[in-house]
Amino acid sequence: MIQRRTLLAASAASAALLLADRFSAAQEAGSYIIGTLFPMAGPNAEYGTIFTAGAQMALAHIAEDKMLRKPVELRAEDSQGTPQGGATGMTKLANVDHAIYTLIGFTGVSKAAAPIGQRNKVVMVNGGGVGPDLSGLAPLFWNVIPLIDKEIAAILPWLKAQGSKRVAVLYVDDPLGNAALQQMTAALPANGATLAGSFSIAPTAQQFGAIAAKIRDSSPDAVYFASYGAQQAQIIKQLRDNGVTQTLITYSAATIPSVRDLAEADGLVFTAQISDWTLTDPVTQRFVKDWRAKYNADPTTYHQNYYNAVRLFGMLAQSLEKADKPVDGEAMRAELLRVRRFALVGGEGSFDDNGNIAIPIQINRMKGGRAEKIG
Amino acid sequence: MLLLQLLASGIQTGLIYALTAAGFALIFGATRIFHVAHGATFALAGYAFLETAVAGVPWPLACLVSLVVAVGFGLFMDAFVYRPILRHEGSFFTVFVAAFGMVVVVQSVLELAFGRSFVSYSSTLTRATAVLPGLYLAPIFWVIIAVTAAILLLTGVFLGRSRAGIGLRALSENPELLRAFGLSARRLSALAIALGSALAVPGAVLMAATSGLQPSIGPHVMLISLAASIVGGIGSLRGAVAAGVLLGVTESLVVSILDTQWSESAGFVLLFGFILFRPRGLLGQPVPR
Repeated sequence: MIQRRTLLAASAASAALLLADRFSAAQEAGSYIIGTLFPMAGPNAEYGTIFTAGAQMALAHIAEDKMLRKPVELRAEDSQGTPQGGATGMTKLANVDHAIYTLIGFTGVSKAAAPIGQRNKVVMVNGGGVGPDLSGLAPLFWNVIPLIDKEIAAILPWLKAQGSKRVAVLYVDDPLGNAALQQMTAALPANGATLAGSFSIAPTAQQFGAIAAKIRDSSPDAVYFASYGAQQAQIIKQLRDNGVTQTLITYSAATIPSVRDLAEADGLVFTAQISDWTLTDPVTQRFVKDWRAKYNADPTTYHQNYYNAVRLFGMLAQSLEKADKPVDGEAMRAELLRVRRFALVGGEGSFDDNGNIAIPIQINRMKGGRAEKIG
Repeated sequence: MLLLQLLASGIQTGLIYALTAAGFALIFGATRIFHVAHGATFALAGYAFLETAVAGVPWPLACLVSLVVAVGFGLFMDAFVYRPILRHEGSFFTVFVAAFGMVVVVQSVLELAFGRSFVSYSSTLTRATAVLPGLYLAPIFWVIIAVTAAILLLTGVFLGRSRAGIGLRALSENPELLRAFGLSARRLSALAIALGSALAVPGAVLMAATSGLQPSIGPHVMLISLAASIVGGIGSLRGAVAAGVLLGVTESLVVSILDTQWSESAGFVLLFGFILFRPRGLLGQPVPR
């Protein structure tokens, strides 16, 4: 038999929950919630800071322009750069914060979070992960960054032109690294080259002296590595320190300050999307001008990507508001596929049926702490 | 020649592990405090060295700054974290959680102060050149050997010959007896933590030059220290040093027969092997049955 006191306590608790839920709903009705699922601690935390800075500038511009009827709030969850962190973070963003639009990075994180976001009708926009299987991951999962298959396709002709016949591949054993290895293994013979050796590393590895010895032993003409975060800088430094003098090549993850500022990174060749800060279109001009004024430095491609991701939300939500349609995941996807082309930083960005942006790739070489376009 | 190269790389990595583990082993051996914050001491020492060296301060002075920071942090932990806990309750778990919390605090402070990026000390000493066909060694290889030998010798002389050193060894055996001899267990405990923290400095400086640092390095360092302390024999300084070298060499040599990604795991397989088949470690006391 249920006691009277128990019944009263249960009723009070239910009433409190109901009130809290209504209070929360009332709060959310007043603003759009954008969630971020970035690594904010640990060896990849540098990316979280960079990604967030780009998003924040776009939010400031949306507010300045009074683009939307409601303010936009940013809610952050730490993905820790791991699939587990991605799944937990997306669950919280969708169910507790009631985010309608989320910014995400890292291939493993994206793959873990995408089913949860899709189930909850939350748009997920990736501006940092480049694993090729991020294309078409879910209808509400879009990419504002070209994926690594495009980057590798761009570097292959350059390798051929350099006469690199033997290429060693050092890769982190996760979805991104495995995809890079798979593509290099398949594409090198067609490019007149061979795989001198493939060397996998754990995402947590920090010592590469022994691996440098193995790479030297494989006598490559060039070394391609696919890693990210602080590990990239450790790889570059330790390969150079341990006598690997061949050209080091990587992808767009190298566009972070810790790689740029590393003395041993001089000569590093890397691919990345075209980031031309001299473009004269008003969106790029404003972004670059405000960025330089605020940070006294040039932005990176990651800043550009997450700025674009938030700007895209502003433009989609603005169109939906004008048409008196609800601003939710399905409506935003329909609007993205209807409009397709948007004025973004770096020029007009066009999206395909899978929500992938099309941006050309360029080849850069690190020289004196700056990236020089070489192809 | 590949095997010789891998052995040399393993010795270099292993000696840095040894220097990293020595401080933790000394503190735990003398005080039985599970000083998880040793990783934070290491990170603070490394950043103190890097930031002062990058600011243009000569490296010996930067090492001194690093030493002051490391010892200061160790004494702070002793006076304001361990001492109050041990005075009231003193459970192993409380000390562990408090120390682990401090690791998180230090990591956040470093991130706020110096950013979350990877940083390293660039030196020509770390550039390897071919000494034999296929064998590359950097000058820092010899520096690491010399520093480790000197530290082992000095610490051995201190612990074996000085009154304070003998007191430190007695501290873990019988603190009550120490009092009978007019020695203060509290002071000796502080001395052990100060000395152990000072031992983090060479490892931190050498790691800043060879592998670089990041604010989240503390837990990684702690993991290595713990593994080396268990493999070497709980509380044995020499055992920790020997185990550090053994771990480094194992991680390096294993890539000659297995895929390179097993390098890090190999050290922990070795650890499990010791736990199962030789729980006393390399130079530890026999485990009573």
